[in-house]
Amino acid sequence: MNFWFAVLRQTGRNLRQTWTSQFMTFLTVSLSVLIFAFFYLIYTNMIGAADRLSDDLRLIVYLEDEPGVEMQKQLRRKITNFDDVEEIHFISKAEAYERFAKQLGNDSDVLADMPKDFLPASIEVVPLKSLRGYSQIKLFSEYLASLPGTEKVQYGQEWVERFYYFTRLLTIVVLLSGTLLILTATFMVAYTIRLTIMGRQAELELLKLVGATNSYIRTPFLIEGLLQGLMGSIIGLSALYGLFQWISSHFAGPGLLNLFHFNFFPPVVIASIILGSICLCSLGSYTSIRKFLRI
Amino acid sequence: MIEMIKVGRTYDPDITALSDISFSVETGEMFFLIGRSGAGKTTLLKLICNMETPSNGLIEVAGYNINKLKGKDLAHLRQRIGVAYQDFKLLNDRTVAENIAISMEVSYKKPRAIKNRVRELLDQLQLVDKHDTLTGELSRGEQQRVALARAVANSPRLILVDEPTGNLDASTTKQVMELLTRSNKAGATIVIATHDESIYQQSNHRIMELSNGRISSLTRGGKA
Ligand SMILES: Nc1ncnc2c1ncn2[C@@H]1O[C@H](COP(=O)(O)OP(=O)(O)OP(=O)(O)O)[C@@H](O)[C@H]1O
Ligand SMILES: [Mg+2]
Repeated sequence: MNFWFAVLRQTGRNLRQTWTSQFMTFLTVSLSVLIFAFFYLIYTNMIGAADRLSDDLRLIVYLEDEPGVEMQKQLRRKITNFDDVEEIHFISKAEAYERFAKQLGNDSDVLADMPKDFLPASIEVVPLKSLRGYSQIKLFSEYLASLPGTEKVQYGQEWVERFYYFTRLLTIVVLLSGTLLILTATFMVAYTIRLTIMGRQAELELLKLVGATNSYIRTPFLIEGLLQGLMGSIIGLSALYGLFQWISSHFAGPGLLNLFHFNFFPPVVIASIILGSICLCSLGSYTSIRKFLRI
Repeated sequence: MIEMIKVGRTYDPDITALSDISFSVETGEMFFLIGRSGAGKTTLLKLICNMETPSNGLIEVAGYNINKLKGKDLAHLRQRIGVAYQDFKLLNDRTVAENIAISMEVSYKKPRAIKNRVRELLDQLQLVDKHDTLTGELSRGEQQRVALARAVANSPRLILVDEPTGNLDASTTKQVMELLTRSNKAGATIVIATHDESIYQQSNHRIMELSNGRISSLTRGGKA
């Protein structure tokens, strides 16, 4: 009979003896995985949406006057002095007029009476992909506004700002639910294993006397923690997946979900969540073993 | 097999359970330990299996200084020492078979081998019908025999028995002694602490008497 057979049999005995508290722990772990994964899923999707939106992010710098060739060179140098950028386009008054007319399409005749230069000239700055985050964009736009001859800078400030604060709020919620997960996984598991150890003091004592090695005594408790983590996270994630499917099928069609192109976790993230909760639960059982199992 | 040199054991506040004990037990010997109640027999056995540590002196078992052993080494030595405790130390919420199996499980014996050995021992100790009884529901005499069965089950090299016949009638006593004699013939060293004159007087084994924690005599049984 080998070591693992003995250890698994012992684990089975432990589970049978304290199955009620084991079951409660299992439920708590699944629930915390569910809560955490739920918010994390929303978070990753928000980030994904933000990424896609910021791909289209452009800062439009309106100029007082049409810049000459020399002036264009100078502005270009000044902009790149602050930070490298993806692209810089100069849009003359005439080009702005044409673009506007194109946008109006059939209604373009309303422009007929307007002078061709009624729209200001502008610079379209496409920032680098690495320039992320609201504060960086804001700083950049302030710098652009301070350049000589600029009137104002536009990049859909309000919208970007709201989006930014929402993701920040979500970050906090994710962190909080992550903490909840860590606490429940480690403490609940530590507590149930402590119960098991306390309830079997006599047997553990005897096992030592008849020559059980430390690993023979300890490993079943570690496996117990590991199983809690594995089962809890799998059930929690499955529940979330069920919820996700339900929402997707009930709210399909035009709406918020389609706008954000809602995705479930990729396999790597699923694996990490499972692995993480296994580690946490094992850690919980390990601390209990350390504290209460005197060998 | 056992070597003790000037071993003493005191308990707080100042109870001297044992003092100045020096003796040795040869491999394959059957050795009796006698003495009045409170003389220190149980304490001596506990020192040999490292359940207690001596206050002073040196104890060697199978060539190892047993108090210096730790972890795996200690566990492995303990697997080769079978102990039947005076207070049995049975798990009362487990069946007789499970209790006996424990000492074999920790050394990873095959389930089949364990099953057969348990049956064999229960047969020898007239407990076959108690195979699936919880030990908590047994009589003292039955519990005593289960404790003994657990001690010898793993075929240890050294068997320590504390008061094996205290609750038994003459014929059951005889069966218990037969079991121990068989183990001894198979090569195990056996130390028996007892009050029961009937089990050692007719033998030619060595008998060590303790009184007040000291060796008061070391003789051979009447048969010699
Ligand atoms: N844990 C302990 N704490 C304090 N004193 C103890 C302890 N264990 C044993 N003693 C004392 O040591 C002495 C020897 O006890 P021990 O159990 O070895 O006697 P014994 O010879 O086995 O007696 P019996 O025949 O009644 O079993 C006794 O006086 C006892 O009170
Ligand atoms: Mg005693």
